[in-house]
Order: sequence, then C-alpha cells, then structure tokens
Amino acid sequence: MSNKYIGQSVKRLEDKRFITGKGRYTDDIKLPGMTYASFVRSPYAHARVNRIDTSAAKDMPGVVAIFTGDDIASAGIVGVPTGWQVNFRNGDTMKEPPHPLLVPTGSTVKHIGDPVAVIIADSREAAFDASEAVEVDWEELPAVVSAYKATQEGAPQVHPDAPGNLAFDWEIGNPIDEVNEAIEQSAHVTTLEFVNQRLVPNAIEPRAYIGHYDEVSDKYTLYTSTQNPHLIRLLMCAFVLGIPEHKVRVLGPDVGGGFGSKIYHYTEEALVTWASKQIRRPIKWTETRSEAFMLDAHGRDHITKAEMGFDAEGNIKALRIKTYANLGAYLSTFAPAVPTYLHGTLLQGLYTTPKIHLDLYGVFTHTVAVDAYRGAGRPEATYLLERMLDLAALEMGKNPVQLRKQNFIPSFDGVEQPGYQTQVALQYDSGNYHGVLDRAVEMLGYDEFRQMQQEANQNGKLLGVGFSTYIEACGIAPSAVVGALGARAGLYESAQVRVQPTGKVSVFTGAHSHGQGHVTTFAQVVADKLGIAMEDIDIIHGDSDAVAFGMGTYGSRSLAVGGSAIVKSIDKVLEKGAKIAAHKLECSVDDLEYAEGKWTVKGTDKSISFGDVALTAYVPHVYPQGLEPGLDFSSFYDPANFTYPFGCHIAIVEVDKETGRVKLKRFIAVDDVGNVINPMIVDGQIHGGLAQGIGQALLEEAIYDENGQLTNGSYMDYAMPRADDLPSFELDRQVTPCPHNPLGVKGAGEAGCIGSTPAVVNAVIDALWSGGHKVKDIRMPLTSERVWRAMQEQNTQILHS
Amino acid sequence: MELQGSHVLNAPPEQVWEMLMDTDVLARIVPGISRLEKTGDNEYKALAEIKMGPVSGSFSGGLTLSDIRENEGYTIHVKQSSKIGNADATIRIDLTPVGPDQTQLTFDGGAKLSGLLARTGNRVLSGVANTLTKQFFENFEKELKTPKEA
Repeated sequence: MSNKYIGQSVKRLEDKRFITGKGRYTDDIKLPGMTYASFVRSPYAHARVNRIDTSAAKDMPGVVAIFTGDDIASAGIVGVPTGWQVNFRNGDTMKEPPHPLLVPTGSTVKHIGDPVAVIIADSREAAFDASEAVEVDWEELPAVVSAYKATQEGAPQVHPDAPGNLAFDWEIGNPIDEVNEAIEQSAHVTTLEFVNQRLVPNAIEPRAYIGHYDEVSDKYTLYTSTQNPHLIRLLMCAFVLGIPEHKVRVLGPDVGGGFGSKIYHYTEEALVTWASKQIRRPIKWTETRSEAFMLDAHGRDHITKAEMGFDAEGNIKALRIKTYANLGAYLSTFAPAVPTYLHGTLLQGLYTTPKIHLDLYGVFTHTVAVDAYRGAGRPEATYLLERMLDLAALEMGKNPVQLRKQNFIPSFDGVEQPGYQTQVALQYDSGNYHGVLDRAVEMLGYDEFRQMQQEANQNGKLLGVGFSTYIEACGIAPSAVVGALGARAGLYESAQVRVQPTGKVSVFTGAHSHGQGHVTTFAQVVADKLGIAMEDIDIIHGDSDAVAFGMGTYGSRSLAVGGSAIVKSIDKVLEKGAKIAAHKLECSVDDLEYAEGKWTVKGTDKSISFGDVALTAYVPHVYPQGLEPGLDFSSFYDPANFTYPFGCHIAIVEVDKETGRVKLKRFIAVDDVGNVINPMIVDGQIHGGLAQGIGQALLEEAIYDENGQLTNGSYMDYAMPRADDLPSFELDRQVTPCPHNPLGVKGAGEAGCIGSTPAVVNAVIDALWSGGHKVKDIRMPLTSERVWRAMQEQNTQILHS
Repeated sequence: MELQGSHVLNAPPEQVWEMLMDTDVLARIVPGISRLEKTGDNEYKALAEIKMGPVSGSFSGGLTLSDIRENEGYTIHVKQSSKIGNADATIRIDLTPVGPDQTQLTFDGGAKLSGLLARTGNRVLSGVANTLTKQFFENFEKELKTPKEA
C-alpha cells in the first residue's frame, strides 16, 4: 500500500477522449448490414387501438420489416418486468400488469408515446417516413395524470385489474395509534401539504440500442446506453425473451449520463434484440430528444401531507405522513422500491424522532413510468423533513440551527459506538451530524447574516437563508436486507484483477461508468494498493462477456461496493504473490512486507518486485510446490450494510419584492461522504448534484395537461439549470469513514441532489417571512409568478393542482 | 388552448351569416384551410396546413356544425389529425347586430391538442391563436370588400 494516488485530484484519464470528440457511444457504432428502427407511438394518453393498417408503410422505399403488438404477442412475449416487489399492507402481492413491447390491437395505450408498431428500414429517415404512413384507428379514452385524483371514485382506470389505480398501499414505522397519540399530545404541530414535482432526467445522450443476432455463432449482441449491462441481460433473457444468458452479450459502451434513467430495462432494448433475429440483420434505434422527454422514466412526483409534533421545548415527538406516489402507467424496473424502501426508510433523517408513520399509496396514472432519478426517494424524504424543520422554526420563533441540533442523533463512529437503529428499519453506520452543521453555519456566519437580512429589509430587499441537513442510504445494497424488502436480485458487485505476465494489471468491474470517472478513481485505488503506476492499470467495464457479473452503477454504489470487490481481489493477488516472493527469496511469508510495489524481507535489503513475481507466476520454473500458476483473481463483494453519507447545505437567496424573482446568492455545502479517493471528482459530483437539486427548486417540472399530454417536452419549454442560474458553490468536507467496507468510502453521486432542494425553498420562505409574508409553502419550481402570487396572498397556502 | 375573439364587421348579420354558411368563402377566410368539402348535412371534410412555432404539418379531418341559429350563429366542431398530432376544437360563434349594417362576430371555445403538437407547440400557442384570429378577421373584411363574382 502506498499513498501516491489516493486522496489526490488526479485528472480524469477519460476526459481527453471525451472532450476531443473521441467518445464511442452506441449511436457511433455502425455494423455491416445495419437497419434502423422507428416506432409508431400513441399521440393519446389513453386510447383503444382499434385497427393498425401498415399496408401503405410496407411499400415505402427502404422498409425491411414491420412488427405490431400482435406479432409480439403471437411470439409469446408478454413484456418487460419490474425488479422489486412491494406488498399491500394486508399482505396481498402488488398489482403488476404486463408492460408489452408493443401494444396489440384491441388493447389500450396507457401514456403518450406508448408504441403500437415498429418500422425497420435501411435508413433512419426511411424508417421515420414509413412510420408516418402507418394508419392507426385510435379510440380516445379519458385519462388521469394526478396520483391523488387517480385514487378517487370515478377516476379513469389505467389497468382493469388494478382497482382504484392502486399498485399497492404500504406503511412503515411505528404503530399508527402510537403516532396519532404522540401528535395529539404535542405542544406544537407543524403541518405541510406539498407536491414534490415530476422531473425529466435529461441525460445528454438519448437512449440508443443496437440488437444484433449472429446466425453463425447463434449469439445475440445488444449494445445499449445503460447503467448496468448485466442487469439488462438478466432481465431480458430470463424474463422477457426466454433466451439463455450465455447466448447473449450485452455491451454498454460510452454512456452520456443516466441519473437513474438508464438503469431500467426498456421495451425497445428487448424489441431490437428479438427483431434482429427475425430479419437476420442488426437493428439500431436511437431515441429522438422528443422521445427522451416523453419516454425516459421520470423522477419524483409525490403529493404529501406531513405533520410533525414538538413538545414545548422544541423536541420532535412524532412525524405522521400520507403520500401519494405516482408510478406512471407501468411499473419500471426499480419503481416500486423508490417511494417505499428508498423513501420511507429515510424518514428518520438525522433526528431522534421517537414515533414515525408513513402511509403510502403507489398509484398508476396515464403518464410515463416514474422511477429512480438521482437520489431516488431520498430527495423526497429529505425535502419533507427539512421543509418541516425550517417551517417549524419559523412558526415557533426558534433558531433553525438550534432546533436541528437539539434533535440530532448524537455522534457515533460505528466501531466503538454501535450503529444507530432508526424507527424505519435502517441502522445508520456512522455519523457526526453536528460537525457538518457547525462547519456550514461557520462558513455562513449566522449572526452576520441575520443582521444583513434586517438591513436588507429596511432597504427594500428580501433576503432569506434556508438550511438542509440530510442523510442518504447509499452503497446499494446488502443483498439479504434488500431481498427481505422485496428486491428480486442481489446487489453485490464483482471484480476481477488480472495481473498480466509483465506486471501490468487489467481490472474487470461490474460497475459501469457513465460520467463518474471510474477509470480514474478505480485505477488510483489499484495503483496504491499494488504500489504500481496508474498507467500500468486498465479498468474494463460495460461488457457482459469480459466481466463475470455486475449490478451496475446507481445508488452511489460503485466505489463502496464495486471498489470493495476490487480490494478483495487485490488482497488475493497479494496473498498469492507473497507465496511466490517468499519462495524466490527463500524465506517465510511472515518475514515479508509489501510496500512500493515490492516484497522485502523485513530488516534486509533483499526484495523482489511486483513485476518479477507476476512473471514468475506465468513462467513458473522456480515456483512453490503445489501452487497454481497465474495471478488472476475474481471476487464478489456483498456489503454488510448500506453506507450513510450526510451533510449540511445552506442557501441564501434574494427575492425581488416587485417581481418575485429569486436570485440564489450563495450556496454552502459541507458533505461527509466518508473517505475520498479523488477530491476533484467528488467535488464534480457534488457540483452536478447541486445543480440538479437547485434546478428542481427553481426551474424544472414535467407538466402533463389534464388529457395526459406532456406540454413541455422540449428544451424550449422545460427549464434546465444553466451556469448563470447558479452561484459559485462554497464546498467543504468532513470525513467520517464508513466502518464496514475496506475503503471506508460512503458514496458521493447523489448527495448534492438530495440536500440542496429544500435548502433553496426554505431560503425563499425565510425571505418572505422576513418581509412579513407568512407563507408556508410555494409549489416548486419557485418561478417568479408563484413567488409573487404567494406574496400577494400572504398567509394562504398555494394549492397544488 | 383557449380560442376567443370578437370583431365588428361592416355587414348586416344576414350577409355575415350567408358567408359563414358558404364553404368556398370559409375555405378562403379561415387561415390554414386549403380545402373544404361538403360531405353531408352540416358535415364537411377539411384539409389544413398549420405551422405552430417549430412544428408544422398537414391536417385532415372533419368539421361539423351544430346548434345552428339562422343569422345568429352556430357551434363548430373540428377534429383534425396529422403526423405531428391531433387537434379537437369546439367553438361557438355568435352574431350580434351593431347599429345599421354592422355585426359583431364573437367566437369562444377551446382546442385540445395531442402528440408533438402538444409537446413542443405549447409555449407559442397563445401567440399562434392570436395571429390566426387576426388573420381570420382580416380575411373576412377583405372578403366583404371583394365584389361578388357573378
């Protein structure tokens, strides 16, 4: 072990390739004889497909084949599955209606863009033209888009076998009677009804797939813009197409962002793979940006009522929540897990709240699926808790920092002191919550800010500060725990460390990089563990034939789980290497120490380098008896627990009294993500997460009209955060190592997105209160119009649509 | 999308009414309409070319008239489909006499859009509606000034 690379901001090895246009994405790949797919999609949110006439399209130039839902159904393909099971609270299994690859005639399409036919042609243009020539007789039916409205009497039904549009109802926490009693006995109850609005993930690279069936080898290859190639192979082979896994190779080449939206197994992936065998030619489908807005699984979309009870001293006594979670028309791969196990289990937050109860409804609507989007459930939980804390402080006239501190879970390292058992199933690994809050408040200058706020008010300006302290469950996930929670897969990770005869090292990881910089970070870990140069290490990922297995990248898991698997393999390499070294140096293994890339006999200058040992392993002339040649080890790492990063975010905003325009003036983030391998990459992850979280607070929302039409499905109408919407972030870091993985890392991919949103909204509410507008809530995104209206209406809450 | 407008035309209600019932005249004055064919009692087939912000397309579909009140107005129902999405509009038209030889034409209704049209055209819809309304009345006035072909 050396310390040359770990902790250093090594420049990303992959960036030269990316910024000089040398990335190789799925759409860049061209195979001989390739064809192109275009889908015929529903213009309605809900309609019966009475008839599909493909006769005109068939004769269009370049058309190779046309498939409809009837073709898929007669091939015996039912549809794509979901990966998690959640049960109704009475124990009944959740409703899991089929999600067909193409909707057959006589059936109903259930969201705009739901496909009914696919055209395969010699060129993309020919496929587009022919898809326009398909005539579909649609019978438009009434639609419902709001999760709350969908559960009401008389609402249009999405699936006939899911009455009341319920996929499941679910609860977690303490018995409801105990929570009710604690709320009733509270000296103060803060109540908030709010919407956590629907977001479009907006990866810069739209989804793209190539299905290629090769007759000679009788094997399929799927190139896919995905976050987890092995998971796609598993789902597609075992649950959709019934093809044996060893006959399918899934490749995830360079992928331009995912944010969760590329975790899931989409219908188009299975369709191009299946159809390629029918036509004996490769088929490429590249999503248009308009399709990406319409079809990539959306995020958030909760409607919530929350009540938090306090005693007279401000100690939290109880939390009672009712939430309607929109799941869209079909259950996407992770969808059932997001509002339940990734949201309900985080409602303890950083507080010692003794009684918690969540009453949750997972609801079908005539909208595209909602699934994990950066943070996945944890931003929703954090938003809820942190809005409640700041609002309670305003209502009770207390200092929001003090209110948090008096309710914080005391510090514990998870080694000397045990982990913290929450009321909602999880056991936190280690935490020092006062530390991050104190540091962030120090950076803010609390008293100085309050003075500035008063002066600003006298000068006709509204300044506000908003606090947010978050915790997240990352390093997803211990298989036994998630299995008990309904996951249909384990969530371990695999790694193979292959030392080549020359001492160069190839590392095969089941994690998948789509912007996270694994090629750099993982190489830093390997280089230091082996004491060799980073240039001598290659990180290989995204190929199901090269990598033994993998669960991919999401839930801030790659380093905590995938990195730990690599460490396990390195330990095995070093253990075997020591045996070879001892034989060559004619000593016992116990006499050796390994440092700076060589084994040395303790107390002497006798040593052998890593490269020499590697060569000996492959040229075993002078070799320990009974030891196998070679230096190549695989490992699977299943974490003992989730990891629990945490932090404190503070926003300072200025609100224009005349127009309601919000200007974000400062943003402070003090995050504790455990040990850090590459500070620059972690900062980059935090920056990106903050931009997305602030985007939700101020700018972004996917808006369906009452007929289920997505009314802002383009960059003209969907407001993404831009550089000039953001201040220069003020970052700092605290390190509380994870006690249960070998690197002590907790994960940094989602932190920025989880903590930032409530800080911004709290700051705007604080600004309004400072001007005498005692507004409880403004519906996100906080546009000038909404803030201005809130100021006009004073105490009344802005109701959600 | 809401569709509302009102304008005083220099003609008595009877003349305006006659024009509103004449498919040839309607095809000339309703912006975007390229053809209007009678297919039954108060039923027509319509072809239109419409541009909405970044998207444009050829529309075809039916047009029906109901609630026909001679010289006073009717309700027009238009259902059009195209490759970029479909439109479904119901508009009530009222004619009110204003002094001698003048008529106030008022229309009030809404259109339901779907597909790409709804997804990308929304931001410019009110602007497009205003432009179309303005064009409609301008065309109407021009039509009134044009000597009748005999």
